[in-house]
Amino acid sequence: MDTIVITGATSGIGLASALELARNNFNIIGIGRDPKRCESAKDTIQSSRTSARVTFFAADLMQQREVNRVCDEISKYIEQNCEGKLFSLINNAGCARSWYMTTEEGYEQLFALNHLAGFLVTYRLLPYLISASGRVIMTGSESHKHMRIRWDDVMFQNGYHPLLAYKQSKLCNLLFAKALNDRYGWRGLHAYAVDPGLVHTEIGCKNTGGIVSFVWNNRKRHGVSPDVPAKTYAYLCAQQPAPKGLYFHLCKPRRYSAQVEWKNAERLFRLSETLCGIRYDERMSGI
Amino acid sequence: MNVLITGASGGLGRAFAAECGRRGYNLFLVDINAQGLAALKSGLERRFSVCVATMTCDLTGEASVDALLAHIDRCRIRFDMLLNVAGVDYEGGFLERKRDDIVRIVSLNNEATLRITHAVLSRRDERRRFSLVFVSSLASLYPMPLKATYAASKRFLLDLAVALGHELRDKNVRVLALCPGGMVTTRQAMQGIAAQGFWGAVTTNPLETVAKRTIEGVLHGKHVYIPGFFNRTLSFIGTLLPRSWVAAAIYRRWGKAQKQWLAKETAHGETAA
Repeated sequence: MDTIVITGATSGIGLASALELARNNFNIIGIGRDPKRCESAKDTIQSSRTSARVTFFAADLMQQREVNRVCDEISKYIEQNCEGKLFSLINNAGCARSWYMTTEEGYEQLFALNHLAGFLVTYRLLPYLISASGRVIMTGSESHKHMRIRWDDVMFQNGYHPLLAYKQSKLCNLLFAKALNDRYGWRGLHAYAVDPGLVHTEIGCKNTGGIVSFVWNNRKRHGVSPDVPAKTYAYLCAQQPAPKGLYFHLCKPRRYSAQVEWKNAERLFRLSETLCGIRYDERMSGI
Repeated sequence: MNVLITGASGGLGRAFAAECGRRGYNLFLVDINAQGLAALKSGLERRFSVCVATMTCDLTGEASVDALLAHIDRCRIRFDMLLNVAGVDYEGGFLERKRDDIVRIVSLNNEATLRITHAVLSRRDERRRFSLVFVSSLASLYPMPLKATYAASKRFLLDLAVALGHELRDKNVRVLALCPGGMVTTRQAMQGIAAQGFWGAVTTNPLETVAKRTIEGVLHGKHVYIPGFFNRTLSFIGTLLPRSWVAAAIYRRWGKAQKQWLAKETAHGETAA
């Protein structure tokens, strides 16, 4: 059975996708921030009468130190239990923020979690993904449209704007998927972004205040259950051969912003490499 | 421009460091948390390609500060700016807190700040302008029941800043006291402010803006900076009323808020268990 890593797998879209994929006979490696919630998510998945192997690792992916630690543990696990092959990585963990807050590195938290964490996890697990001709899936959003990257102030130090910061991070997800395809498509890697649509989850209510939580509480009532986007993740993982396209909604390719083109993708890729202190090329030279 | 920041790896310290980094200043970061300093150093170097030096130091310890100063002297660093961010507060009323904790508020917020400020000022380049920032608090403007020691320690910094500003003006030193309201520096602070709802949102000062305006303010020779229109108005009204009236009003509001908060905390605890 093939193995899939899902970040942010303890609730919302991540948990629903993990359940769906376990039903499709994939082994699940979940990552969540809170060890207790990881335990209960693991129980939830296992009690859904699946023969899949379910493992959880706890890490606060916002902090790069934590990403590196948990990736060390997961790499060891994949080498021991999965013959060094990872079929799929779902970069799903994300947050919304009402205020500018920073990580240990002094990076803005929403940018650090929604984009940089996925960038660094992918880097760390890339050799296993390549050897399985695997797939990388980001949780994108329609909100990536009508937005440009603020190249002179990607972390909103000039004045924080919760909605624009979120929109930019989702545009980053699409640009990253595009860059992965451009760079490693020829090695058999496929990268996608999923538009989950408006989903009834708690992302906008976790420790946000004022307008953000008010707006989110109103919006989420109209949202669909997370089981709906979970089907799209399962489709992108299970389909053989790999579906063509970059951005998917309800198992179908969807149009995306004209900002998603190779120049921006490459520029973001290089900036992210600098911010994480890594070089993808060096990682690839050994494989 | 060489800048020393104490308490650099906390929420406000990191915001200041990022602001200085963006301005291309060289940084010397001091904190008690070695891991946080290392992470912040690498983050700043990657983003801004500025020169960043760090040193772990417990500012309340004489020996630890001596080691820091010896290191600074060995490297022959002359500073142009000092941001005194390191500070502490503990939750709970006066008698509910441990004696050591109460004393530690003063030994870090005041004693340690004096020690490092005197040392760094005497190591400045006298031909150049020096900028000095004390992080006081909105709490410094009134006596504050339930935060009595903390508020008094911040009052000390406010008065010190204003007095030093005049005393050292001829010596080419500019001094600013920053008096912010609540800021979202940690996950706990974020939960607290989110729980306060509307009032939390209006009294909260955005961290990135406070950092930016503080640096601008001290460079332009400003003495006291109270961020936010709402907080400025509040503090102005406070100055018109007798201090003991204000203290009584604060006690009523905070006592109530604290009771609600504690009730919520215990309810959460029960559901978690």
